[in-house]
Amino acid sequence: MSYVGSRVRPIDWEARTRGETRFAADLTSPQHLYAAVLRSPHPYAEIVALDVSRAERLPGVRAVITTADFPEGITYLHRGAPLSDRPPLAAGVVRHVGQEVAAVAADTPEEARAALRAIRVRYRVRPAPLTPRDALADGARRLHQRVTDEANVAFRLDATWGDVETGGRAGTTVVEGDYVYPSVSHVCMEPNTTLAAWDEASGTVELWTSTQAPWFIAKEVSHLLGIPHDAVICREVAVGGGFGSKSKASEHEVLAAALSRKAGLPVLLELSREEEFGSNKPRHRFETHLRTSADEHGTLRLFDADVLVDNGSYSHMGTSVMRVGMITLGSMYRPDGARFTSRLVDTATQPGGQFRGYGTPQVSLAVESQVDELALRLGLDPLEMRLRNLGPENETTLCGYDVTTSRLGDCLVAVREGLDWDARKTAVATGAAGGSSSRGLGVAAGMHGSGAYAYEFANRSDAAIDLFADGHVRVRHGSADAGTGQNTILAQIAADELGVDLADVEVLSMDSERTPFELGAWSSRGTHMTGSSVGQAARELGDQLRALAEDKLGGGPVTLRDGRAVAPTGEVDLGDLVGLSDAAEGDVLSHETSYVLEGTEMISTGKDRFNLSPTYAYAAHGALVDVDRRTGKVTVLDYVAAHDVGRAINPTAVEGQIAGGAAMGLGAALGEELVREGGRVVNPTYLHYAMPRSADLPSIRPVIVNAEDPAGPYGAKSVGEMSIVPPGAAVANAVRDAVGVRITELPITPDKVVTALAEQEGRRRHHGLWRRPGRWWVALLRALYPYGLHHVLHHWGTRLGRGVGPAGHRPPAPPEVLRPGNLDAVVAAVADGAQPIGGGTDALVERERQSRPAPVLVSTIGVPAMRRIRSEDGALLVGAAVSLAELEEALPPELAFVADAVRSIASPQIRNSATVGGNLAQEKRCWFFRNGFSCYKRNGVTSPCYAVTGDHRFQHAVIDGHRCQAVTPSDLGTVLQALDAEVVLQRGQTTRRLPLADLYDGPGELALADGEIVQHVVVPVPTSGRRGSFRKLALYQGDFATASATVTASVDDDGTWHDVRLVLGAMAPTPWRATATERALEGTTPTVAGVRRLLDRELDRHAHPLPGNGWKLDAVAGLVEHAVEDLLAQ
Amino acid sequence: MSTTSTDQAAEPTYDVRLVVNGTPHEVRLPARRLLSDALRHDLGLTGTHVGCEHGVCGACTVLLDGAPARSCLVLAVSADGAEVTTVEGLTEDDGTPQGRLGPVQQAFVDCHGLQCGFCTPGFLTTITAGLRDNPDPTHDEAREMVAGNLCRCTGYQNIVKAVERAADLAGRGRPDGDDARPADGGAA
Repeated sequence: MSYVGSRVRPIDWEARTRGETRFAADLTSPQHLYAAVLRSPHPYAEIVALDVSRAERLPGVRAVITTADFPEGITYLHRGAPLSDRPPLAAGVVRHVGQEVAAVAADTPEEARAALRAIRVRYRVRPAPLTPRDALADGARRLHQRVTDEANVAFRLDATWGDVETGGRAGTTVVEGDYVYPSVSHVCMEPNTTLAAWDEASGTVELWTSTQAPWFIAKEVSHLLGIPHDAVICREVAVGGGFGSKSKASEHEVLAAALSRKAGLPVLLELSREEEFGSNKPRHRFETHLRTSADEHGTLRLFDADVLVDNGSYSHMGTSVMRVGMITLGSMYRPDGARFTSRLVDTATQPGGQFRGYGTPQVSLAVESQVDELALRLGLDPLEMRLRNLGPENETTLCGYDVTTSRLGDCLVAVREGLDWDARKTAVATGAAGGSSSRGLGVAAGMHGSGAYAYEFANRSDAAIDLFADGHVRVRHGSADAGTGQNTILAQIAADELGVDLADVEVLSMDSERTPFELGAWSSRGTHMTGSSVGQAARELGDQLRALAEDKLGGGPVTLRDGRAVAPTGEVDLGDLVGLSDAAEGDVLSHETSYVLEGTEMISTGKDRFNLSPTYAYAAHGALVDVDRRTGKVTVLDYVAAHDVGRAINPTAVEGQIAGGAAMGLGAALGEELVREGGRVVNPTYLHYAMPRSADLPSIRPVIVNAEDPAGPYGAKSVGEMSIVPPGAAVANAVRDAVGVRITELPITPDKVVTALAEQEGRRRHHGLWRRPGRWWVALLRALYPYGLHHVLHHWGTRLGRGVGPAGHRPPAPPEVLRPGNLDAVVAAVADGAQPIGGGTDALVERERQSRPAPVLVSTIGVPAMRRIRSEDGALLVGAAVSLAELEEALPPELAFVADAVRSIASPQIRNSATVGGNLAQEKRCWFFRNGFSCYKRNGVTSPCYAVTGDHRFQHAVIDGHRCQAVTPSDLGTVLQALDAEVVLQRGQTTRRLPLADLYDGPGELALADGEIVQHVVVPVPTSGRRGSFRKLALYQGDFATASATVTASVDDDGTWHDVRLVLGAMAPTPWRATATERALEGTTPTVAGVRRLLDRELDRHAHPLPGNGWKLDAVAGLVEHAVEDLLAQ
Repeated sequence: MSTTSTDQAAEPTYDVRLVVNGTPHEVRLPARRLLSDALRHDLGLTGTHVGCEHGVCGACTVLLDGAPARSCLVLAVSADGAEVTTVEGLTEDDGTPQGRLGPVQQAFVDCHGLQCGFCTPGFLTTITAGLRDNPDPTHDEAREMVAGNLCRCTGYQNIVKAVERAADLAGRGRPDGDDARPADGGAA
């Protein structure tokens, strides 16, 4: 049988499913210290003084390293001089928030973190550009001395390919525009981790490190430590996702190694999730200005581009990322010519790094958007337009690619068939979707290499095969399988070549001592390079075995099958041949080989066209989307991803790569973005980074078109990166098709859609602030923020505050946790200053940010009286310690809309632990407040509100914002107000009853007296005839509300409404009732449009939005329309 | 749980009793120790992974008295006396030391429900509890069942299929055979 081409299971499936796989942080041997890294809090500053002496003296601290522990002036090699610019630890200057300044190894993680606080650094903060535009402006600080003649331009690439004159003349229809692909994070589920063990006697260091390319880790670490390359020995360890980020050094490796050398003990350095988001190297942000022309037949004639690439503060792979991105203009289609200028621009932000797709998704967004726009202008079907412009096979493209096979046409046809394109297009055109939601179809195509000749020896891959006397086979290769299935396909190949059972093949990867030369898994080279080298090694070993068998069996020909060498004269177990070979050592016969790829060209300066890769993969993706015109929410309903991968060595693994890459691309298309303020990432947690959850994604349907490329091993091409290229444009094109607006900047979040639709419809809001003296003070403050007020508060005011997070040089004292069994004990503990805690899902995380967290926590979970739900006088009495899951279950059908609200909160696991009281009392939702900014609420009155000038599109108040712009996040706090719910509070033996509306006196702030607790909530159960609906707009499934609306009303038989409640969430510091609209609706028979008119008038009168969140008024009004529709339909 | 007297400088520790995967353990822990750390470092059960320490990613999900919980948000001392099930406890006894894969584990294998495998233990425990509460989920319910667990490799496609497959397997008793090919072809 042939394993190549079969759907075999991953060879390591069993260990991974049993939880036995060891990732670096799982290793219990060798015993180790724990490391922590001190990082810059400033985007740019000179380090005036750095004193670690106090940290070194702290208990448990074994080593502290600074730049003085490395050779003076040394930098990471990366792509080489002159762009080798990053020191392992800051050397006199920090150039981005999060840059490594010092590192500590200690006996415990707590001691390591405490030691960081004992390191004294004096910074002289300097202004520095944070965006490419600022960096190019006159007078901007130069971050580095560069060789280009423009300030802060690290690298510039200009090229003219093909016949631009003819193309310019013939392209009679022209579209032009600006496109932005933002900085997004890889979000590997395993945080970057290194366990380093220095051996003083041999001067070597062993590394168990999460990497895709051990050779590059050894290269950088050995260089920075000043030891030979082979003195850095990587060991095999499981790697939890890479997506490019782990294909080059990620800084933790050398820090762990240097700490181990200094401490004389093994050291584990495991990055936190905040470090992953906030300090690691994300995708390079591209700002692409593109002009595309086509002739009247729909033939593309010319691409003309001017591109800025945000390099961040240091050069990692920016030059090649930019180069590969620009290649998009000259690779896939066949215009007459392409011309571009691209600049890699230094900014004082986290540096960009390698990311799946490597520049291609960014430029492809622009190209594929404009192909659609041209199709629209020419009256062509966009899919048909692409079919007319396919690049030919077996020809050289404008960018110098020698294309072998291309099945892009088949991919496009597969999308057309898979999405029922023609029929749906007709249906969309005739408005079949109807209502407030519009459907649209979009397609985008893409192309990617199978490896890139980007370094010396990148055209070479070595591999070894061992045959053991017991008949089992081991493949040895120096690459690393971070979850791609590389080890499995190599085992398949070896099993086929040697005729053994797949179960008898094991794979050893990564190990520097025991595997031969291999540069690793990057640029989608794994399948071609190691597939070729392992295949060659196995074939050559097979030749040896056939020769040995022929000698033994006395004749040939010999074939290898079923673990035996079979000749006409007899057969022999392969294992028995081992002892017959002179080359065998003991019970193993090994063979090592070197595969060298011919016909590709290495990237070099002075040239702009290269054939980088042996084969090129293609894909076309099609999306069917639904756009809610009221809220701007885009939902992908169906997704087909058709790929030309040549022949799939393992179709199941290929489909996994397609679906996973498409999902990642959809995340960037619809929600993901690293948002920064003052150079610092404001959303460095899963809570605030809108990575798709399962319920956010459609069924992604991978299609592998029938193909085979003779230039690839076993006919195969690459797949890993290809799948992330098309989703951005596919979704943008589908949104354009659905609602007629073109979004040119990812992610396509509701704010952009609503804003574009308002412009399309000519809607504007007027808030008449000049008539509202109550808002003048706030308006004045806001106006002054950009004119120095923010600067003064940020640079000076924050120094007067109480601080963020734990202080002091000792690990913070852990809280005492009381778990009483009765209410009186809880009340007594709270009277003594204890903080009541329910499930702890919010409070325990929030503690980490508090400068003085409560020393005593009192758990309410063990108090039966607080965990009860009972009915009394037509109301539900819900104890504060009832979990959200229990509440949902207990709600009667009349309160189905409350159950809707509960189900929208967080995740099933959180709802199992989180309590009703905790939900009502949870901290304000503001990504500045929650993520360590020294803001007004966190740090004190002399500190700024970072939302005023920062990104406030989603989370901040539109109504009644004052010095703080945060809102109350509780969905229960909103939905229960529409039922006139009350809370019962207890202090000592005294209880009082308060309308829920009066519980809040600020964003997430309760109007409780000292020592008072929320005992239970009284939720009136509506009588028949009362209807309700809860609607919420969120960026991902389980996110806090960006906006929410609850509408309840008693509806007579004739449709007349009474006692209307209209409560809006996430719009104001506390849940906000639209009382004027409620009154106006009393006794009327409302229509959706009528309610909207009333509400718009009221919102216009009361709102005072920040510059970027006025759209939330439209969105919440849209939610109210939905809710009113629900009521009318009930 | 009882406080252990220690010298002045050291942090007080507590004796904590946990029944983990059916085996009783008594460990002495400081109050700050998270359940995830206690399982991983004190009991050596490293199948439970820590991906965010904020209770969001779900990699650390274990069953606490049967209910899925984020072990990175639970202080070990507050789990005193609880029954804990980790990924290592999902196999079923078949007389071998390793045990036989449970239906959810088998479904992950059958449907190619994992790539890097870092998040897998949290999905397996979540789904085990989810199917106990809802043994026959619809497709949307299957998607919702895993909405609180993050995965970056798979796009969730095959994980959701594995939920449905596990429901089938549990419904008809034991999974059949152990051949090297996924029963449904593993196609996404």
